Order: sequence, then C-alpha cells, then structure tokens
Amino acid sequence: MRKKSHDNTENRKDAARVAAALCPVSPLLTVGCLLLAWQWISAREFISHILVPPPAEVYQAFIDSLADGALVKHASVTLEEMLYGLLLGVGVGLLIGYAIAKAPLLESILSPIIVAFQSTPIVAYAPLLVIWFGSGIASKIVTTAVIVFFPTLVNTIVGIRSVSPNLRDLMRSLKAGRWQMFRHLEAPSALPVILAGLKTSTTLAVIGAVVGEFVSQGSGLGYLVTSARNLYNTPLVVVAVLTMTAISLSLYGLVAYVEWRFLVWRRRPSL
Amino acid sequence: MLIRFLLRIAAMFWLGLTAYAQAEKVDERILLTFIPNVQFAPFYVGIESGYFADAGFNVSLEHLQEPEVLDLVAVGQANYGIVSGEQVILARSRGRDVVYVFEWFQQYPVGLVHNRALDLSDLDDLRRMTIGIPGRFGASYSGLTTLLGSAGLSEDDINLREIGFNAPEVFCLGAVDAAIVYVNNEPLQIQHLASKGDCGAVSAVDVVTVSSQVDLVSNGLIVSGAYLEDAPDAVERMTRSLGDALRTAINNPAYAYLASLKHVDSLPADESLVSALEAAADGQVEFLASDPDRDAIAKSRQQLEADLTERFDGAMLTQFRVLLNTIELWDAEYLGYSDLASWKAMRDTLESLGYLENEAGDLRDAFTNQFIAGRDE
Amino acid sequence: MKLSLRELSVSFRDPDGRAFSALGPISFEVAAQQFVCLVGPTGCGKSTLIRVLAGLLPATSGSARCDGELISRPMDQFAIMFQDANLMPWRTVLDNIALPLEIDGVPRASRYETVRALLPQLHLGNFEASYPAELSGGMAQRVALGRVIVQAPRVLLLDEPFGALDALTREKLSLDLLRLRQRNVQTIIMVTHDISEAVLLADRVLVMSRRPGTLVEDIAVELPRPRRSHMIYLPEFLRLAKRVRESIETLNSL
Repeated sequence: MRKKSHDNTENRKDAARVAAALCPVSPLLTVGCLLLAWQWISAREFISHILVPPPAEVYQAFIDSLADGALVKHASVTLEEMLYGLLLGVGVGLLIGYAIAKAPLLESILSPIIVAFQSTPIVAYAPLLVIWFGSGIASKIVTTAVIVFFPTLVNTIVGIRSVSPNLRDLMRSLKAGRWQMFRHLEAPSALPVILAGLKTSTTLAVIGAVVGEFVSQGSGLGYLVTSARNLYNTPLVVVAVLTMTAISLSLYGLVAYVEWRFLVWRRRPSL
Repeated sequence: MLIRFLLRIAAMFWLGLTAYAQAEKVDERILLTFIPNVQFAPFYVGIESGYFADAGFNVSLEHLQEPEVLDLVAVGQANYGIVSGEQVILARSRGRDVVYVFEWFQQYPVGLVHNRALDLSDLDDLRRMTIGIPGRFGASYSGLTTLLGSAGLSEDDINLREIGFNAPEVFCLGAVDAAIVYVNNEPLQIQHLASKGDCGAVSAVDVVTVSSQVDLVSNGLIVSGAYLEDAPDAVERMTRSLGDALRTAINNPAYAYLASLKHVDSLPADESLVSALEAAADGQVEFLASDPDRDAIAKSRQQLEADLTERFDGAMLTQFRVLLNTIELWDAEYLGYSDLASWKAMRDTLESLGYLENEAGDLRDAFTNQFIAGRDE
Repeated sequence: MKLSLRELSVSFRDPDGRAFSALGPISFEVAAQQFVCLVGPTGCGKSTLIRVLAGLLPATSGSARCDGELISRPMDQFAIMFQDANLMPWRTVLDNIALPLEIDGVPRASRYETVRALLPQLHLGNFEASYPAELSGGMAQRVALGRVIVQAPRVLLLDEPFGALDALTREKLSLDLLRLRQRNVQTIIMVTHDISEAVLLADRVLVMSRRPGTLVEDIAVELPRPRRSHMIYLPEFLRLAKRVRESIETLNSL
C-alpha cells in the first residue's frame, strides 16, 4: 500500500501530464468551442444571418473562393505586401535603431520625429502614403513598413543598450574590432529582444497591408473584404478576415519557431 | 387674482399640449453615407424647418458606409436609410429585403471630368485614355461602366487607374487624362485649382455626366420590407416630409445653406456671407409667394449665384456652389419618383460587371412609387 | 612583464558634474612573474585600478606602464578575469572558452582542439555543450578561468574572481589557478577581500586605504612555493595574515 501523500504526488503528476498533453491541443479546443457557439447562435437566429452568416455559408464561400482562385490571388498579394513591408520596415528599423543606440545625440535629434510619427494612427495618414507612393503595391509596402518600423526600432535600441557592460569590457580587453563587437556580442545579445519585436511586427504587418488596401483598392485581402462587403457577400468577408488572421498567425508562428530554434540557450535549463 | 388663475390655467394647458406633442413624436434615425456635408441640405432643412417634426418624427442623422446603412435597415436596427439604387439591387440579390421608396437624386451624380481643351463630344475618343477612378466599386464604377457601355466601349479599351478619392490632386498632377467624379463636387474643386493656375496646363474643365447618356437609378430613401408592411402610414409621412424639405431646399438654396450651418462644421460662413444669405432667403420667400414655375425658380438660383460671385471670393462660395450644382441633380417635377427603366439600366450595368451572381429578382419589388404625390404608377 | 605605476590617480564625475577622486595617487612596481594581491576596504578603488591596468579606463593623472610602455588601451598578452564569470549566455562552454581564439582568428577546428585539451583540467570534461545557465557558480568561474588560460597571457588581472563563491569552492579554484600558473608563470595582480586567500596566493600583499585608495602597506609573503592549502596553519602564514588584518582594521577605525 502506498502512502497517501505519495498518492497525492502521483495524482498531481498525472494531472500535470494530462495538462502537458492538452497544451498543444487546447487552442484547438478553444477554436472548436467558438465554432460550436457560432453554429448555435446562427442556427437559433439570435442574430440575423445578414449580420452573422452561419458557418456552413462561410465554408461554402471559402470553397468557392478557393475554386475560382480569388482567395489565393488576394492572399498572395497581401502576403507579398507584408513580406516586402516587413523587410523594408524591419531593415530600416534595425539600422536606425542600431545607430540611435550607439549615438545618443542621434536619439535627441530623431526621437521627436519618430514619436510624432508613431503616435499618429496609421489609418489617418495612409491616404497620404497612397498619394505619395501611388495606388500600386508600393504604397501598401510603405504602409506596412511604417507600422512595423517602430517596434523594431524600439526593440533594437533596447536590445543594443542592454548589452552587458562587463561583456563589452571583456570584448575590448580581447581587442575585438567593431565588426567583431557587433557579430559576437551586440547581435547575439540583442537578438532575443529583436525577435520579440519581430513577433509584434508580424502581427502589425497585416494591419499595414490591409489599411493600405482599404485606402486604394485593387487586390489583396483588404480589397476582398471591401468588394465582398459592397456586394453584400458577408460570408466572403468572414473568409477574408479569417485568412488575414491565418496569415498573421502563421508569420507569428514562424518567428516563434526561429526563436525556439536559434535561441537554444533561452530554453529552460534541462538540468 | 383672476389673471394669475387664468395664466396658471393657460400654462397647464400649454404644458399639456407640448407634452402631448412630444409624446406623439417618434425618434427616428436616418442613416446617411459619407460625412456631414452641404449635399445633405434637404435633411438639415427637414430638421430645422420642422417638416419632420410636423410629420411626427424626431429625426437624428448618422453617417455610415453604404453597405452598413443597408444592412442596418434590412435587419431593423434603423427604419430609414439613404443608399444608391444599385445597392438595393445588389443587397436584394443577397437576401436583404429592402424597398426603395423615394428617389432623392433624380440624376445619377457621377460623371467624367476632363480638360475643356479635350473635345469629348464623341465618347469613342476615350479609347486608350488614362482614366482615374476612386476604385472598382460603388457608384463611380457603375457610372463609368454605364458610360463606357453607352459608347460601345469596355474597361479593356481604356487605361483605368484606381486613385482613391483624390481626383483633384491626381488630375491636376497630370497623372490621368480624365477622372470619374461626383459631378456636383470635384469638378468645382478642380476648376478652383485650375483658375489659380495650380492644375498644370488645364485652365478649364468640362464634365460628361452619366445621366446625359443613360438614366440610372440613383440615391434614395429605403425601408425594410417588414417595416413597409407594418407601418405604411409612417413611411408615407416620412416620404412626404422629406419631399417637402427637398422642395424647400431646391426652391430656396440660401435658406438650405443656412440650415446646413448647424450640422456641417467646416462650412464657410463669415458674418457678411450669412447676412447676405439671410437677406437672399427672405427675398426668396417673397418671390416664392408669387407661385413661380420651376424654370423661374432655376433662374432665380442662377441670379443668386451671380450676385454672390460679385461680392465673395471663390473659396468662400465653393460649398454654396456645390449645393447649387447638387440641386440640379435633385430637381424634377415629381420629386421622389423613380422609373422602372432606370432600375433596368442599373441592373444591366451590374450584370455586365458580373456583380449579380444570384438572381436579382423582380425589380418591381425593389422600389415603389406609391408614396409619390401627384403621379400615379 | 614588469608593471610600474607612477602617481596614478583616477577621478569621476558624479551626476551633478562634480569631480570626485576614486583612486590614488598611488605608486608601486610589480616585478615580472610576481603575484601581487590588492586588499583594502570596499570602494577603495581596487577595481578601478584593475580597469586602468587592463586599458579599459584612462588614468586622470600619473601613469601605468608595462615594460616601459604606457598603458592607454588593452595591451597584448594581458588578460582580465571579472568579479562574476561574465560568460556569454548564448555560447556553450566550449565556445565561451574559445572566444579569445575566435577573436584572434584561429580556425574553428584548431581552437576547439585547444579548448578540448583544456577541459579535463578545468573539470569541465562533460560540459562542453552546456550553456552558462546550466552551470553552477564554480563551474561558470572555471569556464572564465579557461577563457583566460587560452589567451596564454603574460599579465593576468583578476578582479575578485572568486568573490561570489563559497569558501571551499573558492579555495579549490585558487589552487587550480596556482597549479595552472606553474606551467606558464605570469605576472598576476589580483583584487580580493579575503585576507587568507591573499596571503596564501601572493608574493606581496598591497593594502590600500579607503577611497581614494592609496598604498598604505606593502607586505612581502615569504612562504615557500608551491603553496598548499595546509600552509594556512603555519605560524608564518598566521603572522602575515594578522599583519594584513591589523593594517586594514587600522584603516577602518580611522
């Protein structure tokens, strides 16, 4: 016969094991519950189908838009805008962030502009960006770049500034050059913070692209939302919105994977 | 003593009357599109002059996107909305039961603005031109499609550029040869830029209106089918009071502008303009008492514009001119009446755009002229 | 290599911009291959002195020279060990120790070979792939020691390197340091606040005054080498330890 306390620990361990097994599944459970609630609400017609289309109609719209290629076409346009926008915004954010982190004078010169730019909602000046950069893909790339620029900038500054001064001394005592200082100390040290910023940026990127698409139409998921809305095709609106969510989540997941893969040392010690 | 008693009786009677009147009035939201603007003057007149109140409504105005206006009316969250006729056809094809009960704009407000130096008497000359449009949606796109169709052209024959609602800037930069615009507004802005020499080589512009080619159903008042069935008398009172307000705005634009001042923040109105308009509005009331016909009233509007142009600079008068231009799109002998042919023309346009995946249904269910006074269906 | 300090002093500015003196003026010489320990009250400028010698901090006045050459930047053949292990958390034990070689441009295969040969002596044989977060304090400090050893320095600057460790671990590491030194004798300057450690390891113990630190006593330790842990029971050791302690206590009572 086991002692009772022993039993308790076993039980607790079992519970922990169950929880651990559920962990990857639990988001799916949440989604499943939401779907059920959605189906129930629309079946009971608590809310008019005009406002909340039933899941079956949305699924049909999804299949239709896949079949006629519209969804893939618009999603790939949005994805392209997001990726170029991320490349541009993150690239410039890294460069300026690094420069500011290294030169406090530059910060006092640039920060009023940057803060003013950041504190203005993107929706407000997106129309201006469209006038300046045209109604093509360029304006959406710039909109995306502008919105992802700031988290990258801030995280780069924080990352570079938080480099341990003792490690800096160590590198100096080893007579490391500028590039070696960057390559072996600053970059790896700032990487976790920068990747955290990148996670934020990826979720913002979809906002930038879609805001741009709202302002000037043509293609992309933002356009699909507007055009489906204008044709009173609410199920297709829902499909487009869910696709945005999926793209944004996938990119977030990708960065999270990169984080997991490259920041091995940040994982819990396995001791 | 007796006087005080009588006064008290009178006061009680008066209070009772107002309470009664207030109880009778129903709060109604009218959902509009765009933003508060002088183009909505008939609604401001309806509120300020008491037409809505007399009909038993305490009206408030809200501005939303067109599809939102339509859906909120369709599900009964608001009883009245203003949308364009094409929205009614599209929404009905997607299961929204709405009925168009009063055509506000008698002429489709979209047109093509171009340099006057460019002779466009033959629309075939549009071939291969670069034409700007807000986007491939809404009234602009339907208007362009109709315009091209009337000339035997299609979108492939021109170079269409989506420019958002930035036609004046983009046109004056020379990025497009012509632009699809709302005929009552942007041409004025472009003309204003052109007269200042800020519009490249362009010194004057002309407009080809869609309505000069094809009669398309335009903006009007909608209600849900259920509401129409439940409360036809309310709909009757609403259309009648809106018709009265619209007629007042058409007949007395100075008054309509003054009524708009309370509702539209950015409307230019310095003291001299306000007093000039007040004088003009009073004068117009006298003139209208002589029961002039529509042509005479139209002439009186032109005379007013000419008088004001002498006294005020262009920027001060731009919005008033927008109102005058818009009045031309409203004016008709029978306000509110819409023609089956204009609905068919709109449906054809939507079909050629591929917008009607589902059956549009019988167009005669989409609208009714039953509330239009003086003209029987 | 021989070190000489002449009237060396360092002053800083406080946040209000007022200058305050942190060190000196202090003068002393360290003969080549001598092991010198610096002891003194907290905040007397010992670490500042180490940073000046490491070329990380400029002297405000006076000079520090190495074989006659003015120290104004990190010198060749100098190595420094810090109060904490100061490892790069994203590098494995192997890569942390190999860092100086990597900076010097030694090819990967050859630097790994060097480090792997060193790991058993550091008792880190099974930990080459571990990250610093997975190491105990003593192990981390041994990695730092390894990182100093691969530099094969001729001058070693130690800023309380074992200060954060428990007494036993620290004694073991001190003796590891001495054993490794036997093969490649360096000039060593070590800051410590542990009197026994100073007497056990050093050829000379320099006692510094309170801030701004100056030299108050220079005590020669004439215990035979190699030093052993049991030497702490020798009368000579006890006499020297007592003298150092008294010297510091006199300062504290002032």
